[in-house]
Amino acid sequence: MRRLSVVAAAILAASVSGAVRADGEKIAVFTKNQTNPFFQSVRLGAENAAKQMNATVLQYVPTKPDSIPEQMSQIDDVVVKKPDAIVFTPVDYKAMSPGVAKMNAANIPVVNITDRAEKGSFITFIGSNDYQLGLQTGRYLLKTLGGKGNIVILEGVRGVITNQDRMRGFNDALKEFPNAKLLASQTGNYQRLQALQVMENLMQSYPQIDGVMAANDAMAMGAIEALEGAKRTALVVSINGTKEAIEAVKAGKLLATGDYHGFSQGCLSVTAALRYLRKQPIPKEIILPVSVIDKSNYQPYDVAPEQRSCPKWDDMVKQ
Amino acid sequence: MSTLTFPRLTLSAEFRTIAQRLLAVVVLCIVLSVLSGAFLTFGNLVNVLRQAALIFLLASGLTLVILTAGLDLSIGANVGLSACLAGSVIQASGSALLGVAVGLGSGCAIGLGNGLLVTVLRLPPFIATYGMLWVVHGLTYWFMAGATIHGFPPAFRALGSGYWLSLPIPVYLMFVFLAIGIGFARYTTWGQEIYAIGANPIAARLSGIPVNRRLVLVYTVSGAMAGLASLIFLARLNSAEGDIGEPLTLPAIAAVLIGGTSLFGGVGTVSGTLVGALILTLVLNGMNLLAIDANWQPLVTGVIVILAVSLDVLTHRGGSAGR
Repeated sequence: MRRLSVVAAAILAASVSGAVRADGEKIAVFTKNQTNPFFQSVRLGAENAAKQMNATVLQYVPTKPDSIPEQMSQIDDVVVKKPDAIVFTPVDYKAMSPGVAKMNAANIPVVNITDRAEKGSFITFIGSNDYQLGLQTGRYLLKTLGGKGNIVILEGVRGVITNQDRMRGFNDALKEFPNAKLLASQTGNYQRLQALQVMENLMQSYPQIDGVMAANDAMAMGAIEALEGAKRTALVVSINGTKEAIEAVKAGKLLATGDYHGFSQGCLSVTAALRYLRKQPIPKEIILPVSVIDKSNYQPYDVAPEQRSCPKWDDMVKQ
Repeated sequence: MSTLTFPRLTLSAEFRTIAQRLLAVVVLCIVLSVLSGAFLTFGNLVNVLRQAALIFLLASGLTLVILTAGLDLSIGANVGLSACLAGSVIQASGSALLGVAVGLGSGCAIGLGNGLLVTVLRLPPFIATYGMLWVVHGLTYWFMAGATIHGFPPAFRALGSGYWLSLPIPVYLMFVFLAIGIGFARYTTWGQEIYAIGANPIAARLSGIPVNRRLVLVYTVSGAMAGLASLIFLARLNSAEGDIGEPLTLPAIAAVLIGGTSLFGGVGTVSGTLVGALILTLVLNGMNLLAIDANWQPLVTGVIVILAVSLDVLTHRGGSAGR
């Protein structure tokens, strides 16, 4: 029921913005939750692309964040409703395989975005590269510190694939700078409050912390609050490029954040689905280039996602 | 007029009970100070108290609910919605006072809703507050649409990150509400009636206690404390998003139960809940100070909580009923 109301609201929003056309294709877009600003950017990007191309988007979001059974039952509903295409982020890259099989069996073309599903056939994959994001933001921090200093890592949720890859990236960056010392790698579970508390605790053990690598923006914000509260300074980098992080970069509180391209992922996925339906060529996969957003290049990102407009397909995709 | 009478403990007896309860905390502190030189410093102890404050404030109202043999699963969702509403109001109006009123008001309203579901509709507390949890989540997600609000005026932020006489403001709030909680539960008729309802609701009703009104009261208080906790969260973190409260629900319930309050009602103390909050906080603090590998942290947390409660149970065996 809750999901229905979410969908109803999405339809309402789409019709208010004038996107509905009787002959427009219907694209079902699956994201993981209502709470992470990243997925909000994905949804806005998807709506924006659909509007530009006269199609309609139906949003499917589990009310319980990242709920496997809920996404599974949403797939059952969607398979019955038969949209023209599906844009799909699995809430769990392994556990959703049976769901992907159902969509494939119904012969609905599926674009896989953000997290690569383990099994199933997709017309394309669109995503970023978590390992590269970790490596390049980590490297950026260590270079700025002159290749030395005391570092702490704030990890995301253990066992989640984005966190695993980002951690590999952070740790490989550290290997490139033997004079930098990793003091501690502790989990903040992608949570703002926990990251703040972990940082407060670590500052008790370590009188000198020069750099912090946080696996997402929310944890970096928690760490920055902790540092400010203790009147200490350290350079902080994080990953995702949310609006809050961009503003912190602008204010000089956050050194840099790695762009996870939520809005572009939403744009490109819907565009790819529509191109496929309209018999235009699409590549097998689109891995968005990793960019580190810092004080020198934040300006283009410093816009509310609602006001952003999708980049041109040809600028983003080299055929 | 209530015909039930309860022995009213003297203040020294109250302190004795707290001291007993604190044993597990003291043992944990001794172990940690041996293992880490950083533990027994003023800075770290203040740190622990400040971190415990948030969970205590949330858990103190919940203690009253659990004393009536009830449960409030909606407190985490309540923190999320109240924080988002208060934060938005502060940003829109520029008035910290209005934001505080909205945060507390939203907390109270959700609690009152729970109380009415439990008394008027006679829903089991688990179901009523579980349903409320989803309703509140839904409202929050709709209201926030995946956004984050951040950046509040310094006057408001002092509530969470300010100091007075080198102690953080949330620590004072914790002690104020500890005193109010102890005073209310032990030394007022209403407080005693809450124990009586939890111990035996039928006897309580027969002896003339307005059971429904007291139940509505405890759920509203629990909601109000969630509203207060949401304000502390907001002021501390300087930001909020829809899902901030959910990770707090289970630790708050755990703090109440670790503190010796019975899920079956009638037995427990607000001071015990402080002990529960301290134990949970010390575990995280200790693991961070010792930089224990994140893979092992869940296991270590579980073992320490079980050991701490075992110690508490052993020292209480044969003692007073734990009240």
